[in-house]
Amino acid sequence: MSLVSLIGAIELGLVYSLLAFGSFISFRILNIADLTVDGSFVLGAAVSAVFVYNGMPHTGIILAILSGALAGIVTALLQTKLGIQPILSGILTMTGLYSVNLMVMSGKANIPLLNKTNIFSLSETLIGGKFYKVVILLIIISLVFAILSWFFRTQLGLSVRATGDNEDMCRASSIDTDAIKIVGFAISNAIVALSGALVSQMQQSADINMGSGMVVISFASIIIGSVLIKNKNITLGLLSVILGSVIYRLIIALILTTNFPPSYLKLISALVVIIALSFPNIKRKMEISKMRKGYKL
Amino acid sequence: MLKINSVSKTFNKNTPDQHKGLDNLSLNVSEGEFVTIIGGNGAGKSTLFNVVSGSMLCDSGMIELGGEDITYEPEHSRAFFIGRIFQDPMKGTAPNMTVGENLIIAYMRSTKKSIMKYPSKKDKMFIREHLAELGLGLEDRMNTKIGLLSGGQRQAITLTMATLVKPKLLLLDEHTAALDPLSAKNVLDLTNKIVLDNNITTLMITHNISSALALGSRTIMMDSGDIAIDLNTDERKNMSVQDLLIKFNRVKNKEFDDDNALL
Repeated sequence: MSLVSLIGAIELGLVYSLLAFGSFISFRILNIADLTVDGSFVLGAAVSAVFVYNGMPHTGIILAILSGALAGIVTALLQTKLGIQPILSGILTMTGLYSVNLMVMSGKANIPLLNKTNIFSLSETLIGGKFYKVVILLIIISLVFAILSWFFRTQLGLSVRATGDNEDMCRASSIDTDAIKIVGFAISNAIVALSGALVSQMQQSADINMGSGMVVISFASIIIGSVLIKNKNITLGLLSVILGSVIYRLIIALILTTNFPPSYLKLISALVVIIALSFPNIKRKMEISKMRKGYKL
Repeated sequence: MLKINSVSKTFNKNTPDQHKGLDNLSLNVSEGEFVTIIGGNGAGKSTLFNVVSGSMLCDSGMIELGGEDITYEPEHSRAFFIGRIFQDPMKGTAPNMTVGENLIIAYMRSTKKSIMKYPSKKDKMFIREHLAELGLGLEDRMNTKIGLLSGGQRQAITLTMATLVKPKLLLLDEHTAALDPLSAKNVLDLTNKIVLDNNITTLMITHNISSALALGSRTIMMDSGDIAIDLNTDERKNMSVQDLLIKFNRVKNKEFDDDNALL
């Protein structure tokens, strides 16, 4: 692998680790697989693209975060106040967002942003060198990481964790679990949208289909990370997610150096998640069948 | 302290399965009273607790706690002043969070601290001291995940969580029924100590008639959604399990072979 593609893989790993942060909050902390992600990722990218197009990259990022939070709130309201199943709520918001995203992008499926000022081009003039993208991404990720690890120690953050862990206990401890889920999903999707905004600024375009499969990719990163670092607490969990995301991108980059057709990448991602999630179960079944065989002998 | 005024609750209304959970039940509990509640399955004990704690709303009647009408208040806002412990030790604590974190949540919630606040050293010390009072050595396991503890230990922690800040009312729903006899005795002793030391108004459901008579200051026997027998301290002083069953038979004019029918 060349140095350029190595740096490229690390950049992608870092920018998509924010996406995985978002999924980590819904999947690992709130214990609900949130499929809104596929839509809120594009929403972030679309909102940011519109503002980059008009020369306001910073405003674009801030509004992308806010719009992502809004998408998360919608999913949470469907789940809590309207009583729709968690998975279905995510699918409904995601589906609805497709139209919203097209609307944001004025009906165009793609917004090219070549030669427009974005935060990466700004940092290139400021930092320079080969690593300017990595530097700016590391700054943003550290910031999000610091805010999240602080947040999950506050009373509100602890309540979010407890809601994912044991709702009965929360209600008995006077925690309004509906409100907590709304907060949790808002934060989760806000970070996902931030990731989408940064991806669109980095790749200098926004595409209506750029979000497909994002849920699976983020789960793959979370799972790879949790294999490498045991998630003893939230801080380690978030660190493992960054590592998992970077390693996932390195694996993909390695696969791309071979003659393997890139169209299989999503299938591989899905297989990685299936194997990782079913591993404990398969292992147990194998142990049981081993015990049975020993018994017969 | 707690005033329940002709409360009714019907399940599966207007269907062949219609069943009266609570039938025009009234109950007055004064401050500091420790009431034990017995009764067969389906007598309405848990429904009574559900209605008082707000996990169910009653069809009619009124519930007052400390002079405040709480009949239609949502469960989580009642939980500020009602502590509740369930039979299942897994229900009261968050298994993937540490002992310290579980208690911090309970403490910070009940003291109504700002939601963005970080627990202080003082808060942690306060919790440590309370855990030490249990005498189970849990104060040295503040960073252990609750899921690794035994049912008895978890139930003791739930008890601490519910009473860190004195609740106006403590509801104990057969909270020792899922424990082994020794742990059950320990948790029951702890309950008695905490309730008496802090003078907490308490309702306790139990299937163990002898401990119902031994603990607390008043015993209620429920049947078909209403109170069948209400014994004050003097009345139950010399009462044995057998006496109580005979009295129950007389009141309800029903046949019971032995106390198996109640268990």
